[in-house]
Amino acid sequence: MTAARVGIGGPGGSAVGSGKTALIEAMLQELADAGIDTAVITNDLVTDEDAERLRRGGKLPPDRVRAVQAGACPHTVIREDPTLNMAAADRLEADFPGLDLILIESGGDNLASTFSPDLVDFWMFVIDVAGGDDIPRKKGPGILQANLLIINKVDLAPHVGVDFPKMLAEARMVRSGAPVLPTICRKGDGVADVVAHLRREVLFK
Amino acid sequence: MNQSTPSVIRAMQLADSGFPSGVFAFSWGLEGALADNQVSRQSLGDWIATELRSRWYRFDRVALAGGYQRRDTALGYWFETIDTLMPLEQLRRHSLQAGDALFASARALRIGLDDGALLAHQNGIGHFAPAHGAFMRGCGLDLSGALAASAYGMARGAFSTAVRLGVSGAITTQRDLLALAPLIAELASDLPKDGDLPSGFMPLSDVALMRPVSGRLFIN
Repeated sequence: MTAARVGIGGPGGSAVGSGKTALIEAMLQELADAGIDTAVITNDLVTDEDAERLRRGGKLPPDRVRAVQAGACPHTVIREDPTLNMAAADRLEADFPGLDLILIESGGDNLASTFSPDLVDFWMFVIDVAGGDDIPRKKGPGILQANLLIINKVDLAPHVGVDFPKMLAEARMVRSGAPVLPTICRKGDGVADVVAHLRREVLFK
Repeated sequence: MNQSTPSVIRAMQLADSGFPSGVFAFSWGLEGALADNQVSRQSLGDWIATELRSRWYRFDRVALAGGYQRRDTALGYWFETIDTLMPLEQLRRHSLQAGDALFASARALRIGLDDGALLAHQNGIGHFAPAHGAFMRGCGLDLSGALAASAYGMARGAFSTAVRLGVSGAITTQRDLLALAPLIAELASDLPKDGDLPSGFMPLSDVALMRPVSGRLFIN
């Protein structure tokens, strides 16, 4: 096992998400530009929707995107019993020797979602301003324990009545200074910072 | 504590729903059967008993015992036999997927598996049931204990599926699971004989396993 395994979790479902898949889509180009050999595993609660979306996006060859179905338990497949994801990651490493990075996207879950340290080396939690500016104050293991917290869709703040600077400050406060990065994944804003963080903290390249 | 206590505890650990082997994501066709109204809350226990008597007893029990008893080349042949005896492509694929998770668990837990099993996995025929047999042997269980843990795990997993799908409650399923205990004990105590081959055709659940369900939550 040589590739770094990075989890990307966050609240939301297939209809209204915080932007986990959009973040991966935006990161793939940055990662490719940096010469980082990448593959993705998606964990869909229902169907293979996220995997298909990434395959259609064309940023990765389709066989570098693998889907794991979560058995009605999006948190179980990344935390209590991560073996299906471990098997998928092992397969990817066997199929693509020299892989640098495997991104593992969880299905939409809630603020208590965390990744097993048996599965990933590092994990990010993605929330968005449209979910409400009280999310950081509600804390929860996802907000507090993730190695990196991302607040997405910051451009929507004025439209949903969110004081974004206050939300960002509260997020940094509840995380006791652990990193928080703002993004607008659909426009690519802030994504370079996320990739730079991964390169510095996880990939060392 | 008598001498058998550690092995009982080991069997309890391996049959526990918290043991990481990936099976929680499989419904054994129950999700499809519920969607087709072939099973209801009232008939759930009967459906699981039928699966135990048919799919588990005729196929999984024999496949697991072969995986437990054989070694090296003979074990490799056994995996090939199991692969040949799975004509339903969807069932075959899902058995390999579940096997993948079990091999990942063995690697992570450093449970030594026979070379025949490892080679079968490498060759893309690492099916769950024989791999489970090799796995249980690697964990030090005797064959009776391995079969009991497997049968119990199948029943417990199906009831857990029903709870997650909102069809039954956690209290009710414990009562129903206890009611199946004599059947599980009876079926698991029947060790396969030399030369036995797995067989199985369960029309309702086989069709349910293969049926595409819009919005499916489980792998099968």
